[in-house]
Amino acid sequence: MNLLLMNMLLMLCWAAVTGNFSELNLLFGFLLGLFSLWLIREQTGTGGYFGRTLRIFSLLLLFIRELALSAFRVAVLVLSPRMETKPGIFAFPLTVDRDFEITLLANLITLTPGTLSVDVSADRKHLYVHAIDCSDIPGNVADIANGFERKILNAFR
Amino acid sequence: MMAPVLAGVLVIVGAFFALIAAIGLIRLPDVYSRMHAASKAGTVGSGLMMIALAIVSGDSGTAARALAGVIFFVLTAPIAAHLLARAAYKVGYPLWHGSVADEMSDAE
Amino acid sequence: MSAFHFLDFAISIALVMLTLSFFLTCYRVVVGPTLPDRIMALDMLVGVVIGFIAVIGVKTGYHLYVDIALALGLVGFLATVAFARFVLERGVGDHERALLEDREGKR
Repeated sequence: MNLLLMNMLLMLCWAAVTGNFSELNLLFGFLLGLFSLWLIREQTGTGGYFGRTLRIFSLLLLFIRELALSAFRVAVLVLSPRMETKPGIFAFPLTVDRDFEITLLANLITLTPGTLSVDVSADRKHLYVHAIDCSDIPGNVADIANGFERKILNAFR
Repeated sequence: MMAPVLAGVLVIVGAFFALIAAIGLIRLPDVYSRMHAASKAGTVGSGLMMIALAIVSGDSGTAARALAGVIFFVLTAPIAAHLLARAAYKVGYPLWHGSVADEMSDAE
Repeated sequence: MSAFHFLDFAISIALVMLTLSFFLTCYRVVVGPTLPDRIMALDMLVGVVIGFIAVIGVKTGYHLYVDIALALGLVGFLATVAFARFVLERGVGDHERALLEDREGKR
């Protein structure tokens, strides 16, 4: 968090020095600050900041891709003349245990292909997920565990 | 000359997804399945159209507000769907008779 | 065909598709059959209307529409949350229970 503040400060310095506070210049200043902080990461021992930023960014990218894919899948399902759905609710065993991470995971699951989170069990060990194609429960569980949950663990642990 | 073309494509694709969501609302068998269509295709649809508005506005303040709106819709749509599905399940609206699994009722 | 002609054309097509989805969603609101179905369709209706506002904003170039769409999104979200709480409070209505059992029996 300190580094983010430092980065903001560098951005403001850049904007002040160039005398231009437009959004584009501020963005450029931010990237410039990020680059200069990256240059001195060995001396200050702050390599983690960049790794984490990168991983959060990759989570975001994965999310956008999955969202597009999920809308497309819904389209294919809805437009197919003989709609063959096997809906059902399966229990997903949670590895993440912090409130914030469970919320994030539940939200991401809802916006990904064919799954909708319904409830968290009282002991917070399971997430109940409604799937439009529930014929392969172990496969569905493995998809989520290897996709979003691993990415969340990487980004915030 | 790129901006109007891009906005046009986004508007068509967004409206198409809204139509898909509406057709899904009609065709899918139960509340929980219909929620899939409404929460995903619906959100992507209105989000894309807002992005188109951000692109053609050519004004950074308007574009920033439109993009903030898109992020807001993407964050709140799953919460709304989740709350509604949870409430419907808690009070006992049944799954469609063709559902293949219900591990939630097994656990309780 | 110039870029602006294409945009006009795209807007017309989009408005037609949005109108269709508006009516289809209205059908689900009216027909139901259960309360959660109607609530979800109303939520979807807010999404469709936000799409309408965005397309009209593109068409007219009037930027204030962005704020209207944002406000509508906020109100729609709060309405859905309130409705979900109402479903929790009310439970399954008597006429709905009869209807659902009737449907199960037929199949």
